[in-house]
Amino acid sequence: MPDIRVEHLSKSFSGTRVLDDVSFTVKDKELVTLLGSSGCGKTTTLLCIAGLQTPDDGLIACGDDTFVDRDARIDLAAERRNLGMVFQSYAIWPHMTVAQNVAFPLRVRKMSRRAITARVGEVLALVELGQHAGRYPHQLSGGEQQRVALGRAIAYSPAVLLLDEPFSNLDAKLRERARDWLKALQHTLGLTTVFVTHDQDEALSMSDRILVMNGGRILRDGTPEETYRRPRVRFVAEFLGQCNFITGAVTAGPDGSAILRTAEFGDGIAVPEHHAGPSGTIAVRPEDIEISQPDAPGSGPAGTVVDASFLGDHYQYRVAVGTLHLSVRSQCPLAQGPVRVRIPPGVATFVE
Amino acid sequence: MAGTIERPPDVTAPVTATPRARWMPASAGHAVVWFVVVALVVGPFFPLVYSSLRSKPIYLPGGTFTLQAYRTLFADPLFWQAVRNTASFAVGTTLLAVVGGTALAIGCNRTNLPGRKAYRLLLMAPIVIPPLGLIIGWLAIYGQGGYITQLVGQNLHLPVWNLSSIPGMSVLGAVITIPIVYLTVQSSLAGTDSSLEDAARSSGAGPVRVIARVTVPMLRPAILNCTLLIFALCLEILGIPLFLGTPSNIDFYASYLYRSWNSSVTADPPFVSAGAVLLLLVVSGLLILRARLSGSEQRFIAAGARGGGAHRPLDLGRWRWPASIGLAIYIGITCAIPLLGLVLMSCVKALSTLEVPWHLFTAENWHLVATDPTLRRSITDSLLIAGGGGAATVLLVAAATLIAHRSGFPLRRTLAPALIYPRAVPGVILGIGFFWTYLMFTPGALVRNNLWGELIALCVRNLTLAYLVIYPSLARINAEFDRAARSSGAGWWTIARRILLPILRPPLLAAFVLMFITLLSDYDPVVFLQKPGTEVLGVTMLQTWQRGVVGPVAALAVVQVVIVAVVLLLGARVLRRLRRA
Repeated sequence: MPDIRVEHLSKSFSGTRVLDDVSFTVKDKELVTLLGSSGCGKTTTLLCIAGLQTPDDGLIACGDDTFVDRDARIDLAAERRNLGMVFQSYAIWPHMTVAQNVAFPLRVRKMSRRAITARVGEVLALVELGQHAGRYPHQLSGGEQQRVALGRAIAYSPAVLLLDEPFSNLDAKLRERARDWLKALQHTLGLTTVFVTHDQDEALSMSDRILVMNGGRILRDGTPEETYRRPRVRFVAEFLGQCNFITGAVTAGPDGSAILRTAEFGDGIAVPEHHAGPSGTIAVRPEDIEISQPDAPGSGPAGTVVDASFLGDHYQYRVAVGTLHLSVRSQCPLAQGPVRVRIPPGVATFVE
Repeated sequence: MAGTIERPPDVTAPVTATPRARWMPASAGHAVVWFVVVALVVGPFFPLVYSSLRSKPIYLPGGTFTLQAYRTLFADPLFWQAVRNTASFAVGTTLLAVVGGTALAIGCNRTNLPGRKAYRLLLMAPIVIPPLGLIIGWLAIYGQGGYITQLVGQNLHLPVWNLSSIPGMSVLGAVITIPIVYLTVQSSLAGTDSSLEDAARSSGAGPVRVIARVTVPMLRPAILNCTLLIFALCLEILGIPLFLGTPSNIDFYASYLYRSWNSSVTADPPFVSAGAVLLLLVVSGLLILRARLSGSEQRFIAAGARGGGAHRPLDLGRWRWPASIGLAIYIGITCAIPLLGLVLMSCVKALSTLEVPWHLFTAENWHLVATDPTLRRSITDSLLIAGGGGAATVLLVAAATLIAHRSGFPLRRTLAPALIYPRAVPGVILGIGFFWTYLMFTPGALVRNNLWGELIALCVRNLTLAYLVIYPSLARINAEFDRAARSSGAGWWTIARRILLPILRPPLLAAFVLMFITLLSDYDPVVFLQKPGTEVLGVTMLQTWQRGVVGPVAALAVVQVVIVAVVLLLGARVLRRLRRA
C-alpha cells in the first residue's frame, strides 16, 4: 500500500485562510491523526485528500498517483481516487439495505454479481454485521451504522482509509469499544489511514502519529508519546491534556541540560533539554508535580492548597506557590492548607 | 495502484479497483439539461417582444420595426376599458381574499374554533378543484339564470345579485385565491413565536385584543407579500371574464387580448403581442417587488426567536359555535353547492326552478361526451398531456434541480430562477410567446399544429410547481450522502440515479401528482395554440361554452373533477406507502 504525500497545501474560503502551507507524509500502513479544535483545518485537509474539495495551492500524491497538483493543473476527480471514507454522519444511504450500501462501491466498479455477493458477505462478517445484511439503516443502532459506513469504505480494498470524526455520534462507552475495534481492524488489513478528530483520548490511543493543527497550520508532528511529553508549542501542550506553564530565567546545567529559576522555585527546575537564551517557559503536567505534607522530608518550596476536588481515581488540587497557581493531580488525600511542592528533574519541557 | 492492492489474508474475493470509465464528462450532460431548460423558459419571450415591434404579423412578408403596435393598442378605447375593469377587479378580489384568508388562517390556527382541523383541509378545496369546474358550477347556481338566483329572484321575489358584474366576479376571484392567502399566513403563523401572544395574554389582554395588537401586526410582512401575489394573479385571470363577463360585456386585460386575437381582421395582430409585453412588464415588476419584500421578511423571522412548543388556543367564547357554523356555510356555498350544481347540470336538459330537476333528466350530455369525437379527444388528449407531459416534466425538473443545487456546473446558479420564472409569467403571455416561437423557428414548425406544441407550452408554464415540491426535499438530504458515493467511486450521474433520485421518490411522486392535476385543468397557455384535432379539456370547454352549448361542458367539468379526485386519492395512498417504507 502507498504513502500519502501532502505538500504545501493552502486553501482560503472567501478571504479566510483555512489551510496555510500544510505538509506531511503518511507512511504505508500508518494511522495518522489530524487533531485540533473545530475550524483548525483538519476536515478541510481530509476533504482535499478525498477530492471533495480543491486546494488553492499544493500537491497531494498517493503512491505513484498524483491526486492534486495545482502547479501541473492536475486534479483527479474524487470518484477516481480509490479511497475509502467514513463520514461524520456516516452517510449511509437510507433507501438501501446494509448489503446494498456495502455493495455500492463494487457495483460502480462493474464487478460481477457473484463476486459482489461474496465480497459483501466477507466484509459484513469482518465488521460483525453478517446477520444484518437485509436491514435498512433506520433499523440499526448508532454503533451498527458506524460499522456499515466502515464496511462500505473498505469494501473494495481501497488504498487509503479516511475517517472524519467517525466516533463523534457514539456514546462514551460505545466509543471506547469502537476505537479499539477499529484500531485492530486497521492493523489487520494494513490500511494506510488518515483520521480526523478533536478528541485527544482518541488521538492518543489510536494513532501511530499525531499531527496537531491550529489556524490552518501543523504545530506538532510526532508519536502520541512524543507529542504528549514534548509538545514544544504551548498550544499543543494545552490541547493535549492539562498543563502548567512556568516562566523564568534559564541557565545552563550539566550535560547540555538547563535549569529554570523563578522566585518561587529558587533552587531551580532541572530540564533535560538544551535551551538558548536567558529566559524561557516550561510546561509541566499536573500528574508530574509531587505534593506532600509540609513536615514530610524532602526539598521544594512551600505552597497552599486552595481548592481540592475528588475525581474518582485521583484528586485534583489547585496549589498556590507564591504568585503561581499550579494544578496538581495526586493519589493522596490532602487537606486544604500548607503543602510542600516538588517538580522532579526531567518532567518539565520547554515550550515556545 | 489499480489492481495491485495487497490484501490482508482474511480477504479472498478478487477486487478490481478500477472505477468505470465515463463515456463523456458529467458536465456535458449538465450543459444539455441547462440548455433545454433555459431555451424552453426564455425562448418564447424573444419572438413575443420581436413581434410586438413589427409593423405586420411576422408570417407576412415585409414589415419594419415600429412602435405602431403600441400606438394602436393605446388608441383603442376598449383597451382602456379593459384596463379599468381589471384594476377594479384586482383591487376588489385582493381586498376580499386577503382579509378573508387572514381571518380564516388565524381562526383555524390560533383559536379554539370547533372543527378547525377539518376546516384546514376543506379550505384547500378551491386549489385542487379544476378552476373551470368551479367557475361553471358557480354560473349554474349563482349566475344570471342560475338555480339559486332563479329561486331567490323569481320564486321569492327578492332582489338578486349579479355575478356578471365586477363585484360579483371579485367574489368568485376571492374564493379561488383565498387558499393562497391562507397558506401564506398560516406558514407565517407557524414560524412566529407564539410566546409573544402568550405574553400579551398574561398581561391581561383578551383574545380580540391579542389578535388585533399582536398577531396581525406580526403578520404584516406575510400579508403584504400575498397581497402583491394575489394582485399580480388577478391581472392575468382569463377564465372568469370569459365565462362570467361575456353576458354583461365586461372584458379584462387577458380576455381583451384573447378576443382581439380571435376577432381581428388580420389574424394574430402585433398589437396583441404589445399588450402581452406590457402585462409581462407589470406582473414581473410586481413579483420582483414581492421577492425583495419576502427576502427582508425572511431576515426578520430568522433574527427572531423560534416558536416554542404547545400553544393554548385563544378562546372565542360564545362566538365559537356561530363562527364554526358560519365557516361550514361558507364552504357549502362556495364549493359544495357549485359542485353539486355542476353534476346536476350535466344530467338535465336545462337547470330551472320551474320544473323539478328529475323531470328534466337527460343522458344526452353524457352521451355526447362519449360519442362526439372532439369532446372525447379533448379528454384523451388532456390525459396524455397530464400523464406523459407530467412525467417528462418531473424528470427534467428533477435533473435540473440536482444540477442547480448539487453540482459544480458553472452556470448552475441561473437554473433556479429559470425554474421559478414560468409560473410568474401570465399563462396567456407564455401562450402567445410559444405561438410565435413555433411560427418563427424551423424546429418549432414540427410541433406547430399538433399536440406536442400544446404539451410543451403547458409543461413549461407549470414546471415551477415540480421544482417547488422537489427542491425543499433535496435541500434536506445530507450532502455527505453525495460525498460518500463519490468517494465510493460513483460519478455525478450515477449519484443522481442511484442515490439522490431514489431518496427523492416521495417528493417526485408528489410533484407528478401536482403536475398531473394542474396540466389537466390548466388552459391559459394553449388558448392560442389549440387547433381542430388537438383539443384539450380546458379550451374545448371554453369554446363549446361560447357556442352556447352548456350541458356537455358541465359533463366535461365533472369528468375533470372526478379524474382529479381519483388521482389525488391514489397519489395520497401511494405516497403514504412510500413514506412508510
